[in-house]
Amino acid sequence: MNLFKFHTVNAILIGLIVLFVLQSCGPDRLDDFSDESFSLVNQDGENVTFPDDFEGAPLVVGFIYTNCPDICSFITANVKKIYNASDYPEGTQFVLITFDPERDRPDVLKSYAGAFEMDREPFQFLTGTPDEIERLMQRVNVRKEISNQQENEDGESIYFLSHSDKILLIDSQSRLFFDYGGSMTPVDIVAEDLSKL
Amino acid sequence: MNTKSLLFTLLTGLALLFIASCQQESNEQEASTKMPGEGIEVQEAWARPGADGRMSAAYFLISNFNSEDDVLTSIETEVAQNAEVHESYEREEGMMSMRDVPRLDLPAQSTVRFEQGGLHVMLMQLTRQLSDGDTFKLTLTFEKNDPITVEIPVRL
Repeated sequence: MNLFKFHTVNAILIGLIVLFVLQSCGPDRLDDFSDESFSLVNQDGENVTFPDDFEGAPLVVGFIYTNCPDICSFITANVKKIYNASDYPEGTQFVLITFDPERDRPDVLKSYAGAFEMDREPFQFLTGTPDEIERLMQRVNVRKEISNQQENEDGESIYFLSHSDKILLIDSQSRLFFDYGGSMTPVDIVAEDLSKL
Repeated sequence: MNTKSLLFTLLTGLALLFIASCQQESNEQEASTKMPGEGIEVQEAWARPGADGRMSAAYFLISNFNSEDDVLTSIETEVAQNAEVHESYEREEGMMSMRDVPRLDLPAQSTVRFEQGGLHVMLMQLTRQLSDGDTFKLTLTFEKNDPITVEIPVRL
């Protein structure tokens, strides 16, 4: 009887150790946005609360502005490639948030999403009031500043932004697990990490 | 002629022979590495989708097969109000920026790569939406060579 107890205790201990090792092999949490709440609006003009409305499934988030010809189109295309390439958890959502809310209103985002054939589920393009977007960008550590300004043929001023290059992977409980260079990280690496969430 | 003079003449002759053979080898090497092709050529061209009134970017390889340097001075297209060469670069860690390249040097016998995150043709204020599968024309003007027009496919 004593020997039986000894083996049972041993088995439980080994099980706990294995469980601990397996858990510690997973990705490290970088941040937690579960206590945050940002009032945004999507490309269809619908109100969206970030990240609350996305809880329950992993989230891929890129940060862009639509007057950016090179890096942001790269980030947008990468988000779509992750969607196409990945064997991701069911219900995963794909979001692009602008850091240029003054120009990127919902109709502009809708048109931009249409050009990339992303004006459909599971993609959403989000904007908001300048104050709310500023608050969100500070929280997720996305920086931007006007880099140069020029006039077009009609004499209208066009400005360009220097900005962070970022794609984030957030889990179903609004915890940040991966933070990538959005245009620089190979899509298959992001896709592989997404399958771990 | 004493021994010293003879040795000097011999050494000078050998040195001249060596230089001549090096020169020949260098000429042969130059001939063998001369890029195949003529004039200026654009290859592997493509552009990103873009919304009407917004931006897109075009990318390609441009080769100058001539023995003279040239300069890409301007770009025109019907699909944008303005087309300019710009270069994206990482200003500091994780912070991307862009600079204007008003004149792009195309050294003789060389290829310049336009690529994402680097040199690109910025298509400003598109006059129509560019979607995956569309094509449009881009005309490149040079300081010395005649302008060339290339067909650019749009893809994701």
